[in-house]
Order: sequence, then C-alpha cells, then structure tokens
Amino acid sequence: MKRSASPRPALAVLGALYALVLAAGWIAPYDVHEQNRDLAWAPPTRPRFVDAEGRFQLRPFVYRQVERPGRFGQYVEDRSRAFPLRFFVTRPSTGRRHLFGVDGEARVFLLGADRFGRDQLSRLLHGGRVSLGAGLLAGLLAVALGIAAGTAAGFYGGWIDAATMRLGELFMALPWLYLLLAVRAVLPLDLTPAGAFLATTAVVGTLSWVRPARLVRGVVLSAREREFVLAARGFGASDLYLLRRHVLPQAAAVVLTQLALLVPRLVLAEVTLSFLGLGVAEPTPSWGNMLAALRQVHVLTSYWWASAPAAALVAVVLSYHRLASALQQLLGKPTP
Amino acid sequence: MRHLLRRLASGALVLAATSVLLFALAEIAPGDFLSALEVDPRVPRETVEALRERYGLDRGPAERYLAWARSALTGDFGYSFAHGRPVGELLLPRARNTLVLTVLASLSAWALALPLGTWMAARQGGWVDRLGLGASAVLLATPQLLLGLGALLLAATTGAFPAGGMTSLGFAEMGGTARLRDLAWHLALPAAALVLGSLPVLVHHVRSALAEVLDAPYLRVARGHGVRPARLLFRYALPAAANPLISLFGFSVASLLSGALVIEVILSWPGMGTLLLQAILARDLHVVVGATLFSAVFVVAGQLLADLTLLAADPRIREPA
Amino acid sequence: MAAAWTVAAWACAPAPEAMTAEPDRDERSGGRLVASLRAEPQTFNPVTATDNPSRTVIALTMADLVHTNRLTQESEAALAESWTASPDGRRFTLELRRGLRFSDGHPLDADDVVFSFQVYLDAAIASSHRDLLIVGGEPIEVRKTDAHRLEVELAEPYAVGVQIFDSIAILPEHRLADAYREGRLAQAWGLSTPPEEMAGLGPFQVERYVPGERLELARNPHYWKTDQQGRRLPYLDKVVFLVIPDKEAQTIRFRTGEVDVIERLAADDFSRLEASGAGDYALHDLGPGFDVHFLFFNLNDLEDGGDEDLAARQEWFRSRGFRRAVSLAIDRDAIVKLVYQNRASALASHVTPGNKRWHHRGLPPPRRSLAAARRALEGAGFSLDAGGRLHDAGGRPVRFSIVTNSGNSERVRMATIVQEDLRQLGIEVQIAPLEFRALVDRLTKTFDFEACILGLTVGDDPNQVVNVWHSTGNGRLWRLHRTRPEPPWQLEIDRLMTVQVTEPDGAARKGLYDRVQEILAEQEPCVLLVSPNVLVGARRGLGNFRPAVLEPLTLWNVDELYWQGNDAEDRP
Repeated sequence: MKRSASPRPALAVLGALYALVLAAGWIAPYDVHEQNRDLAWAPPTRPRFVDAEGRFQLRPFVYRQVERPGRFGQYVEDRSRAFPLRFFVTRPSTGRRHLFGVDGEARVFLLGADRFGRDQLSRLLHGGRVSLGAGLLAGLLAVALGIAAGTAAGFYGGWIDAATMRLGELFMALPWLYLLLAVRAVLPLDLTPAGAFLATTAVVGTLSWVRPARLVRGVVLSAREREFVLAARGFGASDLYLLRRHVLPQAAAVVLTQLALLVPRLVLAEVTLSFLGLGVAEPTPSWGNMLAALRQVHVLTSYWWASAPAAALVAVVLSYHRLASALQQLLGKPTP
Repeated sequence: MRHLLRRLASGALVLAATSVLLFALAEIAPGDFLSALEVDPRVPRETVEALRERYGLDRGPAERYLAWARSALTGDFGYSFAHGRPVGELLLPRARNTLVLTVLASLSAWALALPLGTWMAARQGGWVDRLGLGASAVLLATPQLLLGLGALLLAATTGAFPAGGMTSLGFAEMGGTARLRDLAWHLALPAAALVLGSLPVLVHHVRSALAEVLDAPYLRVARGHGVRPARLLFRYALPAAANPLISLFGFSVASLLSGALVIEVILSWPGMGTLLLQAILARDLHVVVGATLFSAVFVVAGQLLADLTLLAADPRIREPA
Repeated sequence: MAAAWTVAAWACAPAPEAMTAEPDRDERSGGRLVASLRAEPQTFNPVTATDNPSRTVIALTMADLVHTNRLTQESEAALAESWTASPDGRRFTLELRRGLRFSDGHPLDADDVVFSFQVYLDAAIASSHRDLLIVGGEPIEVRKTDAHRLEVELAEPYAVGVQIFDSIAILPEHRLADAYREGRLAQAWGLSTPPEEMAGLGPFQVERYVPGERLELARNPHYWKTDQQGRRLPYLDKVVFLVIPDKEAQTIRFRTGEVDVIERLAADDFSRLEASGAGDYALHDLGPGFDVHFLFFNLNDLEDGGDEDLAARQEWFRSRGFRRAVSLAIDRDAIVKLVYQNRASALASHVTPGNKRWHHRGLPPPRRSLAAARRALEGAGFSLDAGGRLHDAGGRPVRFSIVTNSGNSERVRMATIVQEDLRQLGIEVQIAPLEFRALVDRLTKTFDFEACILGLTVGDDPNQVVNVWHSTGNGRLWRLHRTRPEPPWQLEIDRLMTVQVTEPDGAARKGLYDRVQEILAEQEPCVLLVSPNVLVGARRGLGNFRPAVLEPLTLWNVDELYWQGNDAEDRP
C-alpha cells in the first residue's frame, strides 16, 4: 500500500532550476537592464522554420516586431527580412558569449518583453538568482536560529523554555510588514538593491525561526527522556556532548523537512514584499518585482507572458513540497 | 484552571512586550505621522509644529510610551492622529468586521480541509491525492494578493458579486433577513479568497497527520482483521489524528489574520487590515500598536482555545501538568 | 426603487418648511451620485483639515465668500454677492447675499464671517489656511460694517485680489463658538461627531458615516444657489463617498457601475477602460494638469562636510553644466510613452499648459541630445575613460543614487528610464525607492540623499509657489539648508517673486513670473520631467459634468450635476 516516495525527482527538478539560474549570464540573451523603448510589452518572438515563400529553413529565424503606428503595445511582424537565430554568439556590447541571439536590429524575446522593452527571459533567469538564493539563505538562517532556540528551550527547560516560547508567540503575533518597513528605512542608500535585499532577507529569516524552534524543542524534549540519553547522563556526559551525540541527530529529520517547507514560503514572502514595494527594488529583476506588474489586472489579461515568473514559482514550490513529503516518509516522523 | 491563569498572565506579558517593541521600532524608523505634511507646500511650517505639539510627537519616546500605556489602561489605547479619535473606539467596529470574516473563512476552510485531506490520505498515491497535491501547490504558490485580485476580476466580469465593501448602500433601511442576506452576499468573495489561501496548508497537514496514523501498526492490524475502511477511518484514524490538528488550528488563526489584511485592502472590507495598512503607511503609531495588539489577542486566544480543546479531547494531557 | 430612495431622503431631512417652499423641483432633481475616496477623511473640520479626502468632502459641505470657477479659473461671487476693491488694492468691501441659511436653518450674517476669520487667523489653532491670510507680514483685518456688509483690510496691496477668499469655508458661529472659547475647536467636528451637531453652507451635509466603508451626504435644503430657471440647487439628493483604498479596486468598481465618478485615473487604467469601451461611461482626457514631476540634486550646504562622498558629488551637482547634461540626456518622450502611454507632456517649466493664466508659451519643451549633453559635461571638466565611464576632473568615477517614494510606481518607472539614459553618458545611477516618510525625513531633516525624483502640485497662482522658488521657502527641497550666499540668479528670482506679490497689474505680473520661469529653465536647479494629463471618467447621463484640471477635479460643480432622464430611468 505505502509507496516509498523518492526525493530524487524533486531534487532533480530543483537542481535543474538552480543550475539554469546560476548559468543565467550565459543562457540569457540580453542584459537585464537593456531597454528597447520601441518594444514595450512586445509579445514573445516566434522562432520560425518556414519562410515567407513557404520554403523550409534548417536554421530557425525570427522576424522583427514593429509597433503599430499610434497603437501602444500592439505589434506586427515585419516579414520583409528574416534574421537567423545564431547559437554560441559573442555579443559585441558585452564581449561575452551567450547561448543564442540574433544579429542586427532584430530582437529575440522568447518570453516577450516588459513595460520597458526588456527581455523577460533574461530577467526571469537573473531574477531567479535573487529570489531562489534569497529564499534559501533566509530558510537556512531561520532553521539555524530555530535549532539554537529550540535546543536551548527543550534541553534546559524551565524559565528558558517558557521565555523562548513566549517570545515565539510574540513573533508570531507581530505584523512583520511593520518590522520590514522600519528596517528598510534605516538602511543606507548606497546599498545596491541586491545588498538591500540581503538585509531584508535576513529580517525575513530572523522572523521565521518560531516554527522550527517549536519542532526542534519537541524532538529534544522527547529525546532527553530516552533511556540511552538518561544512561549517558548517568555516566557523566556533558550537556554539549549529549546534545551533539544523542539529541540533535534525532532532530535532523525534522529540520530538513522544515527547511524544504520554509524555503518556498520565504520565496513567496519576497513576492508579497515586492508587491508592496518593499522587496528588491526595480530595475534589478526578481520574480517578486516582475510579478508586481500583475498588480494591475489588465497586464495579466493583455500581456499573458508577464506571468511567466508565476509559472516558475509554481514549479519551485511544487518541487520543494514533493521534496518535503518525500523526506518525511524517508526520515520518519512527519511535522505536526 | 491554574493552567488557564498562567496562560492568561503570559499572554498579557506578550502583549506588553509587543507594544514596547512597536514603539521602539517606530522610534528607529525615520519620519513620523506629520512628515508628509512637511513637503506639502499648502501647509506652512507653523501648522506642522503646532500639530506636532498637539499630538505630543515633540516629546521623548519614554514619555510618549507612558502616556500611551496610561490611556491603554482606560481602554482608549491612545489617540489616532489620522482619525482624530481614541483608538479603542476606532478599532472596535473594525475588529468585529475582521472577526466576522476570519471566523467564517476559518470554519469553511476547516470544513473543506478535513474531508479533502482525509480523502487524499485514504487514497495515497491515487489520482485524487495527486490532483489534490498539485492543486494545493499551485494555490500555495499563488500570493494572497493575486487571489484577491482574481476575486475582484470575477466580481467585475460576472457582476454576480459586489466588488468590495461589506454592506449595500441601503443597508440602514433594510429588515433583519435582508440585512443578513446582504452581508452574506458581500462576504462570499473575500471569504472564498481567504479560504483558498489557507486551504492548501490545512489540507497538507490533515493529509499527513492521517497518513501517519493510518500507517500505525494497530491500524494495520485492524485492517488485517478486516475492519471496514470507512469504520477504520472515522472510528479509529480521525480521533487519533486530532491532536496535531487541534494545535494547528491555534496556529492557523495567525496566518488567516495576515492573509485577511491583504484581502481586506483589495476588496475594501472595512476591517482591521485596511486600517492597519493605512496606519502603517501613515505612521499613525497608536493605531498600529492598537491593531497589532488586537490581532495578537486573537492569536493568543486562538492558541488558548486550541489548548483547551486539546485538554478536553485528550485525557492524557489533563493528568500531570 | 427611485421613489423609495426619494422618500427615504425626504423623511430624514431636518427642516420640513424648506420642502414646501420648493415647488420648483422637477425632472432634473433627485438621484444619488457615488464617488470614491482612497482613504477615509480625517475630519469634517475645515479649519484643521490637511488631507485630500477631508478637503474633498469639505468642499461639498462648506462654502466660501468668493469662489474660483475651476473651469474658467476666474473668481465668481459665492456667499458674497458683490465686492469692491479700493484703488490702492488694500481694502475690499464685501456684500453678503440676503436670506442665507446654514444647513441647520440658522441664518448667516456678518458675525459668522468675522468669527471664521478670527478662527483661521488664530495662531494657537495654527490652521493651514493662516499663512494665506497673512499679507505683508500682517494678518488681514476683517470688520463687520453691518449685518450683511464686511470690510477687509490688508497691510499692503495684494496681487492675488479676491482670490484670497477662495476655499476659506465660512463657519457657523452658533455651532462652534463654545468649542472655540474652550480651546477645543481644533478637535471639533471629527468623524464621530453626530451629523446634527454640524452645519455648513455647502450644497450637501453629512448624513451618515459608516466606519471604514462609506460616507453619505444628503442635499442641504437651505443651499443658496439656484439655476437659471430659478430651481433650487443641488439637483442631486445624495452624494455617497465609498472608501476604496486600492487603486485597482477603484477602477474595477467604476467599471462595474458601483462608482459613478472617478478621477486621477492612471494612464494604464484609462487606456484599459477605453479599450473595454462597451461600458456605460465616458472618459475625459483633460490634458496637462497642475502636477509636475522633477528630478533634483542635493544642493544643501552641509556645514560639517557630512559624508565625504556626498561632498564630492555635491561639487558635480552644483555645476550648471552637469545639471544641464543630465537634463539633456533624459528621454522625456520615453517617459511620456512608457510611463504614461502618451498621456503626459514633457515640461519646459513648472507652469504647465493646464494653467491657463500663467503658462509661459515662449519656452520650448526640452529636446533630448546626447551629443549636447556630452559637450556640456566636457565643458564642465568631465571626461570618459576607455571603458566608457564618466570621470570628474579629479578622476573620480561619476555615480550617484536617486531616491524616490516606493509607493509611487510611476516615479520609480521614471527613475528606471533616467537610470538607463544616464548610463549612456557613462554615469552609474542606483535607484533607492524609500517609504515616503523616511524619504521626507532625509529631504528635510538629515539631508542624506544625492538626487531625488518627486512630484509637486503647483497652485494656480504664482503666490502659491513662492514657498518653492524663493530662497527662504520651505518647499525648496534641493536647498533647504543654506549657509553660503545664494547665486545671483537665485537673488533675482527672490526679487521677482517678492515684487509680483504686490504688482496690481495682471500683465506686468505675468511678465515677472515669465522671467522667473526663464531663469529656472536656464539654470535648472531642478530638472523638470513631465506633467501627466488629468484623466477622469463619469457614468453616461450625468448632466453638467464638466471636469476641470484644478482641484477638486470632478465634483467642483456638484451642485449642478444631475441625472439625465431621471424620471424615465430607474436610476437609484
């Protein structure tokens, strides 16, 4: 009846996503800041194989998109000239090699362009670095804090336990939005947007320690009373030794599972923050501030390609969740 | 009883600490409620200074905190700069509105999550389970804001529901049942958006709690003895899985409240969320503190309720303490 | 439905004899108008109101002596039936209309007016209107000569003339005298005040306030104005303001018909509403309004030298060539197109074409020229390195940050365009969107910023921008703190702005103001960007709807608005 789910498929998908994002500089055809002001909200470019005369071409090509006179954001293809798609090209402006590109004044936007005519695909890949990286960092921070607090609370009990748990309640009751606002306001301006985001990430991570701490505490509490721990204590083992040798290994499963659950939540936190203008600031791309364009509902209905980051987000969240449930089954003891 | 008192005392302590922390944060963040007026060329400097004195913003942080604490003890919770009236008076009707929305959403979410999660747990790996997991991941990956906007779009395109607000214009002239119907009509969309937002987490937990129980040796034995699946599920598995779910209920209040904040803003629900967000942006400090404390009270009350239910449901917990 | 509403409104109207005195209401009369507010008003008190929602509501519940017609931008008689000015421009005699009553039925006389000005001028109350009523350093003096005649004396001639009375709401002494005497006038008339304790002279009065949700106003049966046929205004029975904090929701609820009038539409939303045009609404693009967006540099004198980096950067900012180059490099047409979808105009001066009386037609809109920008930079001692980066004469790479308020997506977008434009000059720009109050704190207190993009609503009269352009003004955000002497051109602006205050001749005054704009265009202490068009919409069938570019944009003539075919349709 029970199928043992393997974490491998989920890990593979996540690995592929992280690899894509890490190789963004090479895969992305354009610079994320490069604006094409005559291509605002240009739809995705279609790579073609059949030319205007109906002949099949082995090398795919694209047509240039031209804005309809007087109609903002509406485009027609200029079929008078085909621009072949080239692979492993060196872009003159940066001198760097890219996976693909086109020559001349044509642009290849596989996922369309945004409001400033910037390539969505390039921004999606580069934005993923910020969003996924920040989620992972914040998650690790939260878990590290959670382990520290939870272990202290569970192992020592008494007033330390009570104080930690009350502090946890306080953190859960606080509107973190207010805290972030205060933090963002005191940061120095010269901080690059990425730097500012790291700081915000740190805050988000710091705020999420409560749940892992509670879980670790639970594990530590039960482990503390196990016979072999009691026996070791009887033999005069030190607190630190007991923790390291007997108690914390028990918590590893819980912690890993928590991490897999926390990371997607923190990636999402970045999205919410950017919606409210508190996340990564434009023009540095992140999935959150790219999705913020959807705040105006008509962007979603007229420029569907603007929701590409949402699809990426779903993939990430889905993979992490599969990973979490696979880990739960693999390592035993699920979360409450 | 002793337990209850201790919880109440610690709850009060948490609230006091929260208020101190919020005052401290407001102190760190540059600018105050009147900053916006300072760059408004229509408002002369003297007016701003006079207002600053009137609101007591020219005084030291400790002095302001004490003044606020005194007024909190009388139930006023300070004075709203933006609304020109005591915070307590301002918050009460809105806290009621938020409560109406979140309680309804919370009950519906649980009413949906329990059967759904149970079904998925009973058919682990089946298509229902996969579909459910996929759908809940998609929902989980959808920011609450998009859910709210989706609801708004739905209202706009179908016209079947009001695109915001809590009551119709003629509410004051309506009779009892008409009022109730009007309220329900306005509640439908924000509640649905909130339910969708909190459902995936609940389903996930119900499913995994039940899955664990179903996997327990005694249930395998029961299954081996030919106990009917339905009886197995409802007579043995569900009660055994209740404990972690009851604790989860306590937590879910907090996440529902923060979700409600966004939904309230988008669908113009006249609750605390709208008030709090505006107050945060306007630096209306006393309202921020007041609204936060109110929501903290909800959270603490939710946990207390969960504790009490646990106490009532599980005799094992009752004994030592 | 319509009938039921009318009955309900009548039933709660306070003075029955007023109704019988109105046989002249006809098919235009009745109906309800629904508008929206982004936030709840803070107060109903016209003396202390500083926020926009409160001002919007108070414009409907209160009235002034002389009123500026928002469409023609000329003064019109309001509560004062007529006025005369003395030849030296220092004395006005105003004649009140006879038989005026507040919304509670209490008659108005000159004592109410004297009381009102006493309140507005009271330094202890510190009303935001006080500043406008101080001429030549002296508060204006308002004297009653008889029950309906008043004399107003000014310390020196004042070019603004009777426009000084615009938007100064006349208060009911019988309602507020006690509060004033007891020193709690500033707190009077809050949102929780029962409506029957307030009274005004405007076309509507507060009827019901539903916290967080809406504000319902009912027709003031004692309103003084009548239409040309002698019908008592306003036509509408009710005006409702819904509180809708989210902009997107505001647009959608206009589209669904829940809201009848919408103003300050974003260009995106305007295009979208236009495209889905089947709706029963009409949209109006009124052209450039009074809002201007601009970029300015930190030119404050920081005595302790402040940050070393900032001090070095201020050297650049103080160079006219540098500012000029920045201005020349900015692609304003791209801002107009990408941020405003072509519903905005590039600015030559802070006085937009929307300001009919004061717009300077001789100033050409700035043209983008990277070549000219590079020349200007060269002239100021800057040079490019091999990598295409700009360096100053001391070899420091040129880079700075632009702050703007994070809540305003349009400004952040402008900053993004400016950033890309300046990159083409070899200048590296960081954008730092800040929460508004934190931003203000930097601009006005710590002076810890380098460049900033901000907007300003320029008043219709030059007097309303003295604050911004005069060297002592508290609106001159780029140089609030000054220890060094002002440059000669700033002294010239100071002189011109001071002289124009007392210049009685309109044409001569315009000449002075034109000169100010020319100097500003030449020196560019702040780099003007664009002025967005005023975009509004209203339900079809709203008669007399004549939106204006001057605040309040849509409801300025709310007393004349009516529903066409009121009786035929079942419009509520």
